[in-house]
Amino acid sequence: MKKSVILLLICSMLMLSFTAFSAKENELLVYHWWTAGGEKVAIDALFEAFLEKYPEYRIVENPVGGGGGGLMRSQIKTMIMAGNPPDTFQITYGTGMIESFTSVLQPIDNLMKDFNVPQDVMDWGRVDGKMYGVPLNIMQSNCLWYNKEIIEEVGIQMPIHSIGEFYVACEKIKNAGYTPLAVGSGMGQGYWIGTLYEAIVSALPNGGEVLNAYYAGEVIPSENETLVEALKTLANIYNNGYINSDFSALTWDQAGQLLATGKAAFFVMGDWTKGLFDASGLKANVDYGYQSFPGSSLFVGHADCFVLPKGVDSQVAKDWLSYLTTAEAETVFCPLKGATPPRLDAPVEGIYDSIAQEIMGKFRDPGVTKILSEFGAPPESYLSLFGTFFSEFFLEPEVNDATLENFDITYEEVFLY
Amino acid sequence: MKKKLELLFFLLPVIILVAFFVYGFIGWSFYTSLTDWRIIGVKGEFVGFENYKFLFTRDRSFKSTLFNTLELSAIFIGVTMPLGLALAILLDLGIYAKKVFRIIFLLPLSFSFVASASMWFWMFSPEIGVINSFLRLLGMGNLAQPWITSSTQSLWCIAIAYVWQFSGFATLVYYSGISGVSEDIREAARIDGASKFQEYWRIVIPMQKPATLTVLVILLMYSLKVFDLVWLMTGGGPGRSSEVLSTLMYKTTFSRNFFGRGASIGIVMFVISLIIILPFFVRRRRSDYE
Repeated sequence: MKKSVILLLICSMLMLSFTAFSAKENELLVYHWWTAGGEKVAIDALFEAFLEKYPEYRIVENPVGGGGGGLMRSQIKTMIMAGNPPDTFQITYGTGMIESFTSVLQPIDNLMKDFNVPQDVMDWGRVDGKMYGVPLNIMQSNCLWYNKEIIEEVGIQMPIHSIGEFYVACEKIKNAGYTPLAVGSGMGQGYWIGTLYEAIVSALPNGGEVLNAYYAGEVIPSENETLVEALKTLANIYNNGYINSDFSALTWDQAGQLLATGKAAFFVMGDWTKGLFDASGLKANVDYGYQSFPGSSLFVGHADCFVLPKGVDSQVAKDWLSYLTTAEAETVFCPLKGATPPRLDAPVEGIYDSIAQEIMGKFRDPGVTKILSEFGAPPESYLSLFGTFFSEFFLEPEVNDATLENFDITYEEVFLY
Repeated sequence: MKKKLELLFFLLPVIILVAFFVYGFIGWSFYTSLTDWRIIGVKGEFVGFENYKFLFTRDRSFKSTLFNTLELSAIFIGVTMPLGLALAILLDLGIYAKKVFRIIFLLPLSFSFVASASMWFWMFSPEIGVINSFLRLLGMGNLAQPWITSSTQSLWCIAIAYVWQFSGFATLVYYSGISGVSEDIREAARIDGASKFQEYWRIVIPMQKPATLTVLVILLMYSLKVFDLVWLMTGGGPGRSSEVLSTLMYKTTFSRNFFGRGASIGIVMFVISLIIILPFFVRRRRSDYE
């Protein structure tokens, strides 16, 4: 009796360990920050499509929302330092951000054969000539969104072609009793002011070159006329009273709601805002409209990508990343997320709405220069340090010696220390 | 001797766990603070006290953050302790519907920091917050404040939320302290002609030294390491106006990847806690012996 009990126990333990082993083998532990709205719907659909293709696999997802991925990245860092990385995780696709993680990532060039994307977008993900992430969705960040009803009521001709025209429009809107420009930089998210700043730089002469050099750590900000000019423009926008007074209490989506609910006319934010408006029941080109930031002919943007941490050698992780390089995966994910598929051969007709197609047109136009945004180009520390810098700048928006000194020191902290 | 060994045997697991998970990691953090660790997964080089030197000489955030932390602690403790004592005395006086009030006073303590931070965040919102809305409703819109969006008011808003959350705790400790005062002593005072005020002022309150020490030490510990409320209400902003040491440590470590410098902020927090709290324990130990 005793022997049979012991035998039974040993058998159970063997079976359990075998089950655990096989489950682990076929299990994809994935971390991402898409927890709500169209983003969640899109990633759920992508998982479903992946499992349809590979029914032998199982996905264990750990969504960590908040802070534009900042909270998830913090969690990932602790997991990596503890020697327990997930099979794959999401980060922003861009040289600076990826470089912050390359010490713990594997190159994946061998998984990216026949990945038909523009050359400069491939370069966005390369560090020392090696690819580390599969971009899944391209986002334009220098977008100007507008509430069509307010614009028509005030009598503004869209599109607006320059920053000067933008000032005139803002003045008219302000006089009509609306907030001209919605901004949200609350909860420590000062980097959304950085998005506005970046859009302004992109509209100035040589803006693209300046942004590239700026994010590569190659300039002295206070000595760069374009960067200083953009800072003055930012100060003017604030000092002229074009911004909602509670900007430092609102998150980006709450600021977007000011436009959606007819309180504000403009909103400078990435094209992910479309998902927010659509979820609020607004119709593209009926209730809200889009153009690139006035005066900008550039496509400033970045992508989200998935990466392969060092030490992960599972087939499921490799199959997942290979799957993400396909037009099929992008076609499942991008329309639901409201983003542009990176592949140039991904189908478009009948899948995306008019605004998405307009953004896609700019992305696919080889004549439009693509510039990597603040979320991907500089080192990860840029978002936090410059988030504080811009938030502090908006306390007393004045471009003086102290501001410029602060600008230089913050920049040094990102690139030198 | 055998009894001592037995005692040690039962205590050993706890001693090992505490030694490893508390003191071991404090030691590890201290070592990390002496390195220039910046790359994820790759340990930094030993640089001695360079991170501390940087914090106290070149870091533009550290001094204002340290001052914010101490200011928040001072407001928090300065208001919570007298408030807790006053509420405990009210309960002891047998106010009407005492049980209901006891629950009302203690309720904030049961709230999670996340829930109370979200609630106060919305209350202090300048446009749609209930405080300003209420003022406008009463025709006192001119008294409406920018609250958490103001660099001069944001820290006070956090302090108010923190006081609200912890006043119940202070009340609870003081109430149990007051309940512990022997009825004989109080009755003797009353027989000697002491008024209600004198009874509390001369007998009950002076006997609350142990309760005061408990409240003080616990509130100090919470206020020095406050994170949740600050993170969720202001994120340390606007600018750096409500940044405290714990949020700066988090940002420095995880958002800016200065792991060594982040650890040095943690060690500074630890040392400040020791400097403030140790004298209380030493004094208490002495008074215990006396």
